[in-house]
Amino acid sequence: MTVPYRTLGKTLGAGFALFALAACGGENGASVSSEQESKVLPGGGTVKEMVEKRHEAMEDIGDSFKTISDQLKSGSPDLEAIKGSAALIAEHAPNVGDWFPAETSPALGVDTDALATIWERPEEFAAIAAKFETAAGELNTAAQTGDVEAIGAAFKATGGQCKACHDDFREDD
Amino acid sequence: MTETAAGAPGDGSAAGALVWDWSVRVFHWTTVALIPMLWWSAENGAMDWHRRFGLTLMGLLIFRLYWGVAGINTARFASFVKGPKAITAYLARMKRPYTPAAGHNPLGALSVIALLAALTAQITAGLFAVDVDGIESGPLASLVSFKQGRAAAEFHEFFFNVLLALIVLHIAAVAYYFIALKTNLVRTMITGRRKGAVTANPGPFPLTRFLIGAVLAVAAVTLVQL
Repeated sequence: MTVPYRTLGKTLGAGFALFALAACGGENGASVSSEQESKVLPGGGTVKEMVEKRHEAMEDIGDSFKTISDQLKSGSPDLEAIKGSAALIAEHAPNVGDWFPAETSPALGVDTDALATIWERPEEFAAIAAKFETAAGELNTAAQTGDVEAIGAAFKATGGQCKACHDDFREDD
Repeated sequence: MTETAAGAPGDGSAAGALVWDWSVRVFHWTTVALIPMLWWSAENGAMDWHRRFGLTLMGLLIFRLYWGVAGINTARFASFVKGPKAITAYLARMKRPYTPAAGHNPLGALSVIALLAALTAQITAGLFAVDVDGIESGPLASLVSFKQGRAAAEFHEFFFNVLLALIVLHIAAVAYYFIALKTNLVRTMITGRRKGAVTANPGPFPLTRFLIGAVLAVAAVTLVQL
């Protein structure tokens, strides 16, 4: 029986090849942008640029969240690092609603993890973005006081808003 | 050959020779139980449990890798990992009437190596993984950036499919042995014994070496959480 031996090699080979492909095909991958993606937005800049801008800004927020999370988990949190990260999140938060012009919907062929539900349920999306803004402001206030317990609570509340929005309006990954 | 604390030596007894010591069997079946629990906890966002299960599996895996070097003979990689020649020769013998090997056969060895390597890759990626909100993370994620942690998480999610494929292949092979070769590998993995197998006298269970492995595993699991 030669099957398991060969299948094993094939499965492994195919698996890694698939991963290499998947790794190159992300939002910022070298895929050819669609016609929609090169359209210019009323506020200036192309659709593709907006998608890239929000992707990077979201990554900034994620980075800051991770810094706060890492610091809170460590025995002796670095308050300066937390302050800087919380300030950055609060700076980005009021803009989240503006990062999603209707032209950037995946329904129009744009390569993005944003879901079309953002534009199908705009009031809900706006409400959740506003909640995030409030929570991020409170996190920043807590961070500047340096009270670790208050930071922990505000961090949880803000993180809950990230998750709530991602659950409904972002592609699962 | 004489009776020893580790069980019947050779093929003399009715129960068969001991091919898998209890630590190998506990590792095998605990892994079988933990993988669906890990999948379920991840799917349902129970990340505290996912971390606990994952760290448990990490400890077991570290023990098994150590046991592959310092364990009893049939558990040692050096005793069963063979080159392509031995595999080809084994393939020619894979027909009825089939005489099972006294431990892992050269083909089964590939399955062992692939599964242990896949578990190692999967657990390593999980240690560094960060979720999309930057809130949940593996115990070593503070050592990497958000982007790197996200890449680890994406690998972790993707690689589970590779692990699943290897598990399916493993189960298919076990079924093939049962149906086509009339050899029950599952029973042997439960009882540890194989009728008709001829093994060298395993001697008493190497308790000191076992304890060293257990301490190593616990130390590693503790260390990543510091």
